[in-house]
Amino acid sequence: MLVETSVIHLNIADFAVAVERRVHPHLKTTPLIIAPKGSSRAVVYDMSEEAFQEGVRKGMMLKKALRICHSATVLPPMIIRYERAMKDLIKQTLVYSPLVESGPDDGHLFIDVTGTSRLFGPPVDVAWRLNRNMKKDAGLNPVWSVASSKLVAKVATRMAKPVGEYIVGAGEEEQFLSPLPLNLIPGFTPEDLTCLKAFNFSRVSQVHSLDMNQLAVVFDDRAPLIYERVRGIDRTPVLPAGNRQAIQADYELTEDTNDIVFLKKALHVLIEQTGRKLRQKNRMVTAIRLILSYSDGIQKASAMRLTLPSANDLDLFRQCLPLLFKTWTRRVRIRHMRLTCTRTIRQQIQMSLFASGDRQARQDRLIQSIDMIRERFGPLAVSTALALSA
Amino acid sequence: MNTSRHIYTGTSGYSYGEWIDAGFYPPGTHSSGMLPLYAASFGATELNYTWYQMPRAPAIERMCARVPDEFRFAAKLTRTMTHDIDPGLWKNEVARYRQGIAPLVQSGKLMAVLIQLPPDFTRALANRNYLAALLDELSGLPLAVEFRHDSWATDRVFTELEQRKITLVSVDEPPLPRLFPALDIVTSPDLFYIRFHGRNTGGWHSGSMQKQFDYDYPDEALSEWITRIILPMTAMAEKGGIFFNNHVRGQAPKNALRLIAMMVKAGIIRR
Repeated sequence: MLVETSVIHLNIADFAVAVERRVHPHLKTTPLIIAPKGSSRAVVYDMSEEAFQEGVRKGMMLKKALRICHSATVLPPMIIRYERAMKDLIKQTLVYSPLVESGPDDGHLFIDVTGTSRLFGPPVDVAWRLNRNMKKDAGLNPVWSVASSKLVAKVATRMAKPVGEYIVGAGEEEQFLSPLPLNLIPGFTPEDLTCLKAFNFSRVSQVHSLDMNQLAVVFDDRAPLIYERVRGIDRTPVLPAGNRQAIQADYELTEDTNDIVFLKKALHVLIEQTGRKLRQKNRMVTAIRLILSYSDGIQKASAMRLTLPSANDLDLFRQCLPLLFKTWTRRVRIRHMRLTCTRTIRQQIQMSLFASGDRQARQDRLIQSIDMIRERFGPLAVSTALALSA
Repeated sequence: MNTSRHIYTGTSGYSYGEWIDAGFYPPGTHSSGMLPLYAASFGATELNYTWYQMPRAPAIERMCARVPDEFRFAAKLTRTMTHDIDPGLWKNEVARYRQGIAPLVQSGKLMAVLIQLPPDFTRALANRNYLAALLDELSGLPLAVEFRHDSWATDRVFTELEQRKITLVSVDEPPLPRLFPALDIVTSPDLFYIRFHGRNTGGWHSGSMQKQFDYDYPDEALSEWITRIILPMTAMAEKGGIFFNNHVRGQAPKNALRLIAMMVKAGIIRR
């Protein structure tokens, strides 16, 4: 029997602004722009509704934003503050379900409350209570929605923004999505939308008239996804809280740089840190994500699946180096790097059928020795040459 | 004796997954299929979700299409007009609410708009003024007011409601201080309205709905309500609405069905 799912989506509009306004209550009604100061090429990281109404947008050059919105106050992005706020919100929601999935410190939370009614009451009441508690405890007022899937819940909060709520009853998904523009549906690529536009399709209801075969003529293997999305069918699970506690490491460069030597060093340090955590947890990484934060406030992220799961620093560095070049697409100097192990597996206990080569065995022993030294004398007791190269 | 022509008995809300486990809905019932099944057992329901969210006309219209003609809805007034009031916005909210429930009015399926006031809404001057303004703003709609604080249990309030032909909701609650008492006062000749919340004294202030409304009414309690309150009320109003809010573990539909059977036996209603 198919279990009927209930997903709550909480969306704190302009999350960075909301957090900053909690710290600076006197800025509650003034237009606010979050952007790095002191950089000629700085861009807008986030902005308040007042600034948005004036025409300021995320990613816009700060100079241009201030020309449009003279009265705006500019505050620098405080990423750690937003992370902490996000962690607090997650902690509050974990009371109701272990299945809580958050975005990257953007004020979005999905909570799967399927089957929790006996304990906590109807999902809609849980959503309302979460909103009330967040208002009371954290001074934040999330838009909330309740629906049968992440997709429908996410669209519903978009409809309710900047304040309010939206409950999409079970079985109402198709009617709910039907009048909406196609660009509001998550999961469509720009190419999908361009293609649909070429057929004069701009609303979800227009795509409802196409069956799977007709969609396949144009969209080939993407047809099933498009067919399901416009009907609100989304089987993507809400990832459990455990997955959220991903192994990750951050590196703040002493000075903004686009020097490859420094960046390689930073990557190696990040790999040493994550590698050590992986080995402590007896895990190997299979997928990894790198986020580069440029000095103008723009972030670029790339992810890759490793060809061979590993927890060995040397091996990881070799596999991850191409990811650095993939992510590093701009000439602007880099300020911060973050490496996240997005997917990990348990280390294989069973012996390999074929013995690993001498080189691999030597590398494993070397890493083991480094770990032992660091365990005994501290993390800075020994360093690899690459990490010292600067 | 001139008795009520129609007494609609039902529950506060109908979409509860745990009512499948309780045996009220058959195994495998999808939420979208609950309303027609519910309407096969009861003649009315309270719409709970309209307290959390402003009703939207298209969804209400679809709901009306899934029940028989004689089925009735009592729609809770949205919390932005009772619990989370913004002094500058509540009049707009009333206008939006009217638009949202328009399909109920147009189809004749609206039994009443239930104005459920919070426990801290005492009979202070500011609250009296607000309530009067709210009732004015909602005029033209069938209204039922539920107080949760005993300061409102005075003749002046009942007289005012009577003059406005607004229904005072009779409530069954735990015997705790400051809660509104169970009364048999009818303030509108059109409708009397009763809500059974359960008598879970320990859970009432727990902050958890699952504890607050976890109660199973014994026959003696229902029987006492019939003789002491329901019977006198039927003589004073044309219609009646009786709703059970003790939804936990399917106790509400169980108790509602039991009350219907007892009222049939007592000759108050015909099956």
